[in-house]
Amino acid sequence: MSAVAATSAPGARPFLVARGLVKRYPGVLALDHADGAITPGVVLGLLGKNGAGKSTLIKVLAGATAPDEGELLIDDEPVVLHGPHDATKFGLAFVHQELADVPNLTVAENIELGLGYPKVGGMLVNRRALRSKAQEVLSQLDARIDAAAPLASLSIAQRRLVMIARGLAVNARMLVLDEPTASLTDEEISHLHAVVRVLRDRGVAVVYVTHRLNEVFEITDSVAVMRDGRVVFAGPTGSVTREQLIEHITGAAAASTREPWRPPQPEAEREELLRVEDMTLPEVVEHASFSVRAGDILGIAGLVGAGRTELVRLIFGADPHSSGRVFVRGVERRIRGPRDAMAAGIVLLPEDRRNQGTITKFSVRKNITLATLRSFRLRGPLPFPHRGRETGAARDLVERLDIKVADTEHPIRYLSGGNQQKVVLAKWLNVGADVLIFDEPTQGIDVGAKDEFYGLMRDLAAEGKGVVFISSEFSELVQNCNRVLVMREGHLVGELSGEEVSESALLEKCYAA
Amino acid sequence: MPDESPNAPAELPADATRVEDAPRRTVIKSESEPAAAPTGTRDRRGVELAQKILPRYGVLIAFLVVIIVFSIAKPHIFPTWADAKTILTESAPALILAVGLTVVLAMQDFDLSIGATVGLAGGVAVALMAKHAWGWPLALLMALGFGVAVGIVNGYLIAFLGGPSFIITLAIGTVLTGIEYAFTNQATVFSGVAQGYINIAAKSYFLGLSNQIWIAVVVALVLWVLLDHTELGRYMYAIGGNPEAARLSGIRTRALRLLGFVIVGVAAAVVGIILTSQGGSYTPNAGAPYLLPAYAAAFLGAACFKPGEFNVPGTVIGVLFLGTISTGLTILNLQTYLINLVQGGILVAAVLLGRLGQRVAT
Repeated sequence: MSAVAATSAPGARPFLVARGLVKRYPGVLALDHADGAITPGVVLGLLGKNGAGKSTLIKVLAGATAPDEGELLIDDEPVVLHGPHDATKFGLAFVHQELADVPNLTVAENIELGLGYPKVGGMLVNRRALRSKAQEVLSQLDARIDAAAPLASLSIAQRRLVMIARGLAVNARMLVLDEPTASLTDEEISHLHAVVRVLRDRGVAVVYVTHRLNEVFEITDSVAVMRDGRVVFAGPTGSVTREQLIEHITGAAAASTREPWRPPQPEAEREELLRVEDMTLPEVVEHASFSVRAGDILGIAGLVGAGRTELVRLIFGADPHSSGRVFVRGVERRIRGPRDAMAAGIVLLPEDRRNQGTITKFSVRKNITLATLRSFRLRGPLPFPHRGRETGAARDLVERLDIKVADTEHPIRYLSGGNQQKVVLAKWLNVGADVLIFDEPTQGIDVGAKDEFYGLMRDLAAEGKGVVFISSEFSELVQNCNRVLVMREGHLVGELSGEEVSESALLEKCYAA
Repeated sequence: MPDESPNAPAELPADATRVEDAPRRTVIKSESEPAAAPTGTRDRRGVELAQKILPRYGVLIAFLVVIIVFSIAKPHIFPTWADAKTILTESAPALILAVGLTVVLAMQDFDLSIGATVGLAGGVAVALMAKHAWGWPLALLMALGFGVAVGIVNGYLIAFLGGPSFIITLAIGTVLTGIEYAFTNQATVFSGVAQGYINIAAKSYFLGLSNQIWIAVVVALVLWVLLDHTELGRYMYAIGGNPEAARLSGIRTRALRLLGFVIVGVAAAVVGIILTSQGGSYTPNAGAPYLLPAYAAAFLGAACFKPGEFNVPGTVIGVLFLGTISTGLTILNLQTYLINLVQGGILVAAVLLGRLGQRVAT
């Protein structure tokens, strides 16, 4: 409970207290006895890596998901939130990263949505009253937005302000802003900060989720850092240094169990498997060039939205690119689609496993053999798969990757996230590719499965494959990569190799701007 | 954790949605945990059996029940070879159309132009023979060719240009009916149909069953092998399950979706040929009444054998089920309004039986 005490300003009664929240998802402990408190008139910065449990905590606060254990107290009274409606009732308002607004309605209609529009004669919506009411709320925020304008005509920053105005309209006592400054310009950010200060001075408790450390020191009064589902640090912002925050976020004290990956042979003796030149998709990926050698585990670091996923999708042919050349073993290959990439020896484990990696209705066997079904033909050129051989190959891979499934005929959706991810890997191992690109392979899987995945990537590199590893967790990259590229706003802005790869160096390069 | 919050701020009025929400949650809980715990082993075994059987065989069970009921009601007419032959003969065109449709549905595409394609193919064949004196084999090939062309157009507009299949095929269907009328002037044709053409469907060479039954059997077998036992079928189901994952696995998703439309286009053309061959005549827009039963059969089939997936054996059961109900109800000599009521009721019950099993299973 020390964490709780620390976030409360002395003398002020906390508005909301969370005690021992636990939330389990299959294979993941998203919240592990998380404690916290928030006081009126305070901006609390909520920090943590991706997957640290921030989103789950917010979902619990919003009533979108029920915790398995623990309790929430509002004004010292225990409450149970049965849904977003309850959260609104208790004065909790949320501005999610992905805006939950209705673009085809006007600003005023959005602000007052669900609050009961003013009526004429009890039936028809009184548009004028609705508009003036909304305009008044907007003016409190010093937002120069016309309440009658269609929401779709507004910028993202303005739409965030509209969502905040909505929080004001419901007389919110606590406002949660989830990465509100992502994709905003400096000017928009400073306006948003001014609005946050206005709210704070009116006694609203503000929870401010962000990845930008500069912002933490500029806007927050206290901070809470989450790691592995727990609140590992909570205290006044003034009491910590930047370096201490980074340490809390990454958990640097928890030393890695493996030595960082180093290829067995020197660079000159290893063949260049993949070279990408000038890969460009305007505004998304700009002139990216790099190469991968046999035995490399090449990390790509960067913030969400830096263009990492887009870059590898271009290389794999998943999206059309405007310019750029791809060489495999020194030979230029024209890649117009995933089929060409596979033929050239490049495979991609996509970021979004559920939507891009697996066929959820299919069994484990059918998922594993999907990309290589041709090699299981009964006999000759006839396209009839030999089920026995498919099962044999699937079982071999299940054993080799230690996939936890009793029978390869089980539907893949019954498997945990980590095991599903291994099935996707099994599918690509069958292809026998030279270059394997892993896009956030460890996201949303538990610590044990993550470690197994690191081992698998090292095995592949040791076999002489080239591995490209995208991750938002710097510690993973430091632990498993012999080289790391840093991407920022569509550009490859730096490369670290060998001993230069460290979390602080990566952080510096990712956030420098 | 407390079940409800007695500490809601007093100044707030009671929230109606909350009152509604609370019991709903309780119901879900009691279904999943406590209800299962106290039941005896016998009950549990019964539940497990229901879980296994109902989702896969619920429709089949309903089908058997319907057959038994009709057999008891009319023991001298219904359960006879002659009656079975009638049902099979009448179901054959619907069967061909429905199994063809199953292929596109497996890829989560819709084809609403199939009824119009049936009419167009029949119209083209008859018009070429009766008005332009073409030989019947050529007229037949031409009709099939139209089926292929319709499939290519639909497939190109949908899979390659990204049009929504529902609207595109609805629009194309309208165009096709226009083309049909351009060939036939929307006039019924009774004469000029070659005997060779009539023989295609109407004659019977084997087991006393008319040829159209055998054609239907062949089409169903071919498409069953295609969907369930070939690479293409596996890919098609993968596209239906997750088109993006299928594409990223190197599957030619666009080409296969186009192929699906070609297959159902040809199936519809075959049905058009059978319908005109059977009577030796042409009626305008003869395919329209076949559209909805084909969907009904395919959706019934998706509640059969492979729950939640369109599959050829399921569709076959669906078609025969529908054919049996309509023949049986006719034999019972019910009034039309009763036929409608009973027919609809049986279908709803059959599909829900399968759903029930799935619900228990989760």
